[in-house]
Amino acid sequence: MNAEQRRRVREIFESALDRDPAVRAAWVDASAPDDAEVRREVMSLLDHHSRAGSFLIDAVAARAPELLVDDGTDETALAAGTVIGSYAIVREIGRGGMGRVYLASDRKLGRQVALKVLTPVLTRDSGQRERLRREARAAAALTHPGICTVYALEEIGGDLFMASEFVDGKTLRAEIAVGRFPSVPMIMATARELADALASAHRKGITHRDLKPENVMRTADGRVKVLDFGLARVDAESSGAGSTLAAATLPGVLLGTPAYMAPEQIEGRPADARTDVFAYGVLMYEFISGEHPFEAASSLARAARVLDSQARPLDERRPDLPAAIGGVIDRCLRKTPSERYSTAAEIVADLDRDAPVRISRRNVGWWRMHQLAVMALYVVAATVAWKVKEVRGDAIALWLFVTLCLLAAFVGIIRGHLVFTERMNRRRLSGERKRTDRAKFVGDLLIAAAVVVDGLALAPITALGGSLTMALGIAIALAAVLMEPATTDAAFGN
Amino acid sequence: MRRERPGQTLQPTALVHEVYLRLADAGTPWKDERHFVGIAARSMRQILVERARARGAQKRWAGLDRVSLTESLVHAAAEDAMLPALDEALDRLEKIDPEQAKIIELRYFAGLGIEEAAAALGMSPATLKRRWSLARAWLFRELSEPGR
Repeated sequence: MNAEQRRRVREIFESALDRDPAVRAAWVDASAPDDAEVRREVMSLLDHHSRAGSFLIDAVAARAPELLVDDGTDETALAAGTVIGSYAIVREIGRGGMGRVYLASDRKLGRQVALKVLTPVLTRDSGQRERLRREARAAAALTHPGICTVYALEEIGGDLFMASEFVDGKTLRAEIAVGRFPSVPMIMATARELADALASAHRKGITHRDLKPENVMRTADGRVKVLDFGLARVDAESSGAGSTLAAATLPGVLLGTPAYMAPEQIEGRPADARTDVFAYGVLMYEFISGEHPFEAASSLARAARVLDSQARPLDERRPDLPAAIGGVIDRCLRKTPSERYSTAAEIVADLDRDAPVRISRRNVGWWRMHQLAVMALYVVAATVAWKVKEVRGDAIALWLFVTLCLLAAFVGIIRGHLVFTERMNRRRLSGERKRTDRAKFVGDLLIAAAVVVDGLALAPITALGGSLTMALGIAIALAAVLMEPATTDAAFGN
Repeated sequence: MRRERPGQTLQPTALVHEVYLRLADAGTPWKDERHFVGIAARSMRQILVERARARGAQKRWAGLDRVSLTESLVHAAAEDAMLPALDEALDRLEKIDPEQAKIIELRYFAGLGIEEAAAALGMSPATLKRRWSLARAWLFRELSEPGR
């Protein structure tokens, strides 16, 4: 069959797909009356198409772990009650890239530990073993309430075991999977604690390199704890063909998890604390919004997006989010490492600096109340102007009343619009505020001036009424000049 | 409101890792997203097929009809056994129509959705879907009638 015939086969096959199966044969006959070979081929392909069932429908990529795992690693689960050194296995609590993790009891010290049995592939090579030891030693130096403490690296019967603090709780992954948005205070607390834990490690020159929601636990008392610190580095220094082999059998460990890898990691460039900063940004973004910032249908497509797309602004997904935290995460997610925070300590500093001006409900409440109170003052002012007009009955008072009503309606609508935007469409609020700021200010001063003039006009008739009216005008002016900036500042921090 | 993906964490992590390693080792600078996805899909195919071969998968392979793979593909073992044969068939397909082979790589080996694969190849999703059907039919025939 030549290329031209194949092209016809393709065309006829594809258009036959759109037709009712009953008329396909006739359609194929009509489409290539001159070429029996093409007709036969199309019919054969259509026949196989109808029989192909789910053939190749489900991507093999999704099952890759199953296909890759049984690669000669003779990992078998340890039964409960098995004794290894001074540890007695209680039950399996997880399986990670480095091997299975068990809850075990340390019979010497009488405490519960998480015992990680490192897979033989990792420990076969003496260089690897040495690196593991060094890393475990470094990780053991980390003592921070937000970091799971490493107790010991034990060699028993040629196998390597790592004992660490047993953290009873739920991973952030489990929290995210629940599908409920965390509250703002919860977000702030999590962001702060996590950054603080990372910062304490960064200060000692240790990077995590595999920070992800699976590696962060929330304990029963609500604090976060980072697991597996420093272990991700184990293979980072090794090179050559051996590392490639080892990497494939140790998912999630050696190079970080694709979904949380920074652009430089994906591109194979060296990673440092700023790589953790990126992962922190991705993690927090996902924790806050429930979605990965570079969401895509497959890990691969996601990695591609990490390299060259921008994340959707967080405040589009969570309009109630304090601008400060959005800004921090945004900076963590920069593609170029030098544009990010250089260590997690800087994140902590930024979060702390922004903490006092963050929006809380109460502060916005003051601003909202101010808007409503000023609108009420307009009504009072208009009522007073009406009274003055009644008392004086001249044209000046009438014009003052009309002017005042128009101004009050104008500025009142602006304020109503802002309050509405704040409640319903928070994302656009700052833009709307900027847009209307001047008109509102000038309108207020004009209203105040009109009321004062009204007061002056009233004063000859009733001194008390005139003074009160003038006081009202001054109050409106002061509200615009002094109080409004204060409540706005408290609510939005600018 | 929020999409959940059970089991996502374990997903193709391992595979993707090795893909990265290969890409990094090769020092291939990719020009853009499309290029990156294309190279990575190819690497995935190579890795999975190499692994299957190393495990002697083809010895267990006796063609689609006897195994009735349409149903049992879910079985990792059956799929594993098929991979070397699929790889060879893909090579043949590539000679006839490289685009169809590419579609299978992107959809089946890299796990891209219709839309994504269409974007990666610069064609409309509708066209991609039809061409994908053709490639599947062709490969199904190749694998069910060995030595045709």
